[in-house]
Amino acid sequence: MSPKVRVALYWLASCGGCEESQVDAISDKIDIISNLEIVFWPVAMDFKKEDVEKLPDESIDVAVINGGVRLKEHVEMVKLLRRKSKIVIAYGSCASWGGIPGLANLYDINEVLSRVYSEVPTLQEKGVMPRPKSVTNEGMEIELTEVLPMLLPLDAVIDVDYYIPGCPPTPETFLKALETLLSGNLPPRKSVIGASTRALCEECPLNKTKPDKVLIKEIRRIYNTKIDPSKCLLVQGIPCLGPVTRGGCNAKCPRVGSPCIGCYGPLDKHIDYGAKAISFIASILDLNDENEIKKALDNGIPDPAGLVHKFTLPASRLKVNLKRGEHK
Amino acid sequence: MRDKDVRIGVYICHCGTNIAGIVDVEEVARYASSIPGVVVARHYTFMCSETGQNMIKDDIKNLKLNGVVVAACSPALHEVTFKNAVKEAGLNPYLFEMVNIREHCSWTHTDRRLATEKAKDLVRMAIAKVKELEPLEEVKAEVVNSVLVVGSGVAGLSAALTLARAGLTVYIIDKRPVLGGFVTRLVNIAPIGIRGREFVKPMIDELVEMPNVKVLTNAEVISVEGGVGNFKVRIRQRPTYISDLCTLCGYCEKACPIEVPNEYEGKLTMRKAIYLPFKEAYPPKYVIDENACTKCGKCIDACPVKAIDLSVKERYIDLNVGAIIIAVGHEPYEPDKGEFGYGLTRRVITSLQLERLLDEEGPTGGRFIIDGKVPKTIVFISCVGSLIGNKTTNACSRRCCSTITYDTLKILSKNPDSHIYILYRDIRTYGFEEELYWKALENGVVFVKFEEPPKVEVMGDKIMVYVREATINKNIVIPADLVVLFVGMTPSNAGEIVRIFKLSRTADGFIREAHLKLRPAETPTEGIFLAGAAAGPKGVMESVIHGAAAASKALALLLNKKYILREPLVAKVDEELCSGCLICVGMCPFNAISVKYVGERRVATVNPLLCMGCGTCAAACPSGAMEHNGFKDKQILAQVRAFAGVVV
Repeated sequence: MSPKVRVALYWLASCGGCEESQVDAISDKIDIISNLEIVFWPVAMDFKKEDVEKLPDESIDVAVINGGVRLKEHVEMVKLLRRKSKIVIAYGSCASWGGIPGLANLYDINEVLSRVYSEVPTLQEKGVMPRPKSVTNEGMEIELTEVLPMLLPLDAVIDVDYYIPGCPPTPETFLKALETLLSGNLPPRKSVIGASTRALCEECPLNKTKPDKVLIKEIRRIYNTKIDPSKCLLVQGIPCLGPVTRGGCNAKCPRVGSPCIGCYGPLDKHIDYGAKAISFIASILDLNDENEIKKALDNGIPDPAGLVHKFTLPASRLKVNLKRGEHK
Repeated sequence: MRDKDVRIGVYICHCGTNIAGIVDVEEVARYASSIPGVVVARHYTFMCSETGQNMIKDDIKNLKLNGVVVAACSPALHEVTFKNAVKEAGLNPYLFEMVNIREHCSWTHTDRRLATEKAKDLVRMAIAKVKELEPLEEVKAEVVNSVLVVGSGVAGLSAALTLARAGLTVYIIDKRPVLGGFVTRLVNIAPIGIRGREFVKPMIDELVEMPNVKVLTNAEVISVEGGVGNFKVRIRQRPTYISDLCTLCGYCEKACPIEVPNEYEGKLTMRKAIYLPFKEAYPPKYVIDENACTKCGKCIDACPVKAIDLSVKERYIDLNVGAIIIAVGHEPYEPDKGEFGYGLTRRVITSLQLERLLDEEGPTGGRFIIDGKVPKTIVFISCVGSLIGNKTTNACSRRCCSTITYDTLKILSKNPDSHIYILYRDIRTYGFEEELYWKALENGVVFVKFEEPPKVEVMGDKIMVYVREATINKNIVIPADLVVLFVGMTPSNAGEIVRIFKLSRTADGFIREAHLKLRPAETPTEGIFLAGAAAGPKGVMESVIHGAAAASKALALLLNKKYILREPLVAKVDEELCSGCLICVGMCPFNAISVKYVGERRVATVNPLLCMGCGTCAAACPSGAMEHNGFKDKQILAQVRAFAGVVV
């Protein structure tokens, strides 16, 4: 019997969806589980940082990391995992390009903190800010890590060998990626694994309902549009990101009448995912009058960054923090 | 290509002193030779000369170059020259890149140091691009040896004759029911004074006798597909209702109860809904004005030879042609009601109505009378609708000045005691026509120069013309019996034509030529040519020349050729990456993209013969599967990186 694959699983700024998809994928795959030896998985098992530090360098076969790099602690942990692992995988949209929390990069970090700790209307105690050092009611001194000024994708801090995209990656995507990794026939480093090399439209059942020419006169939003789930959403004026987003999810959203929001991220040839997305939407908008165009964009895309960079802002060309108000 | 495999030659042209006067060409060459991958960098007085080209050819052979950069003038001027040189030396011509350090550098800058730095930047960028270029093969396109001429005015006739005499199949169509165009409305073609209808008659007679010529009247192009060498044109021909049996007996005209103003007589007289436009008209048969005809059927009963059939429907004709000549002409400016008194009295007329009044076969039999009276004091106002008036094109109409002077002489020969005033802003009787101007002066015609357009007021029998004479700077009032507005040329239906043929228009609204000086009679679309006033105001002689020019360019393209080679700088799909999202299909203005199946997968595919290389699809392609040969992302980004040194 060949030795088991030694795996470390870790989460950074993450919602837990990635773990759910991982568990979902392999909970009934005894043949896979029996092949793995989990050496670190703090979300589910009792491991500490010291356990990893004690391991020899490159003694972990694969480290699977999800979530974006938001804290100083994250930087330390991923550098440690990098040193201890042969292969590091960015799992999910946050680890790959920043994900939804990455949209916070549109704002200065102090504004983000003030929003979260003072302004959110559901706060019970407003204005209690996180501090590096504090004393509890019991008189215990505790230390908190620092928040970074921007949320970073994993590869901004360490070298990443492979990417598994999705928010979260579907169980099928994870299984396909595992299959690739366990096959021993490894693709070139920096590749995206477990997903398609082509855009989502290819696997979308609605794609065949497109007319020859895809041109729209209006950009519609789902909250006030009656969608026909049997027809291509783009043709109905809904800015579905299927044409620009990597396939591999089996078109889960468009299949049920909901537009692709881009969680499988960029294709190999993209230089900037969001730029490509806004460029193709602009291309199919079949209007010539300046005022009509402005109206269509104002009504249809009130939040351009949120539409085209929902999962990819920290990895985009738009790297600068903006003060609130400046992005308008 | 990896740096160590790259062998690039860089050639900096002095262009005499055009470039070398501002740019330190030696310094640029020295700099280029320091860039990795460059094995030779030279500078020379005229790279486009035989010696210059040989330098490149020799280096390609001796130094085994696999990339060439020439920094010289505009690619519009010499890209083909250098491409051919590269090709002759055995290197793929698409591994060559041209840098414009004349128009983009030496001609636009005065600071020697900065201009030299800019030239170095441009050269460095081109070298970076050449490293990413790929060899390309030209696309072979089969040629159909026939030409469509749209419009049968003098320009169209001249083009069609030139082509037909060379033996090509020619289709000539006109949206009107007769051939001849605008010129058939003129009586005095200055300076020779020939009647327009007589002028075009021999041209039409020769043309329609030729077996390789097909004429379609009442016909318009409604769509065009395909590209140079093989256009597919769809034509709609409105019914003429009258067959070739027509003997011109005229019984139908007598029977017809409908009367409308006769546009062939400047609307000075009325005609019937069934009518003969003029006696020399081709095709030689009566025509029916569809807009006026009520289909009462009286003409059918009156026709002794049963030539009329009102049940005929419009028909569609599909043509396959190798080239297209657009000669749709112009429309004369129609003044607004009240503009210089026009429409307020019958004694303010346009130059075209004057033409009819001077024609022996016109409504007055050539007697120069208005309302039964001989006008004694006549005022001509020039440039109406071209340089002055409610709507101007800001383009001189070229034929008017000589026509005005010619017409005044004609009037004086009929009524020697007429007082004639010509109100003008500029007199442009150029070339041989200058003589007419002096003759008019000698014969007592008074030339009044204005800067502010004159004002015209109708006062009972008289028409008062107020004008400030610009040379003596005095206000003048002329009580006139007749005012003639010399109207300019406006674009004829150009909006529709540019839409169908995918061309563009000038600021004045005429159809744009590819280049006024370097590529006259051509459009930017290969295989589509322009002739006559459609491309801007022209006199009759100029239109005849322009028509022949367009025809000879079409001949050069098609004559004795089975196929032509087209530049492979077209869009191309990476079928492996294409998701079949179809975004590109809707983008293509040339209908060059279609869908095909690779196994089960649907992917986009580009017809390289239809693609005009605009790049719109490549920009729109959401996945990066569509790229443009010669302008791929990696090639453009290499240039950007070389310029800015940034990581993109």
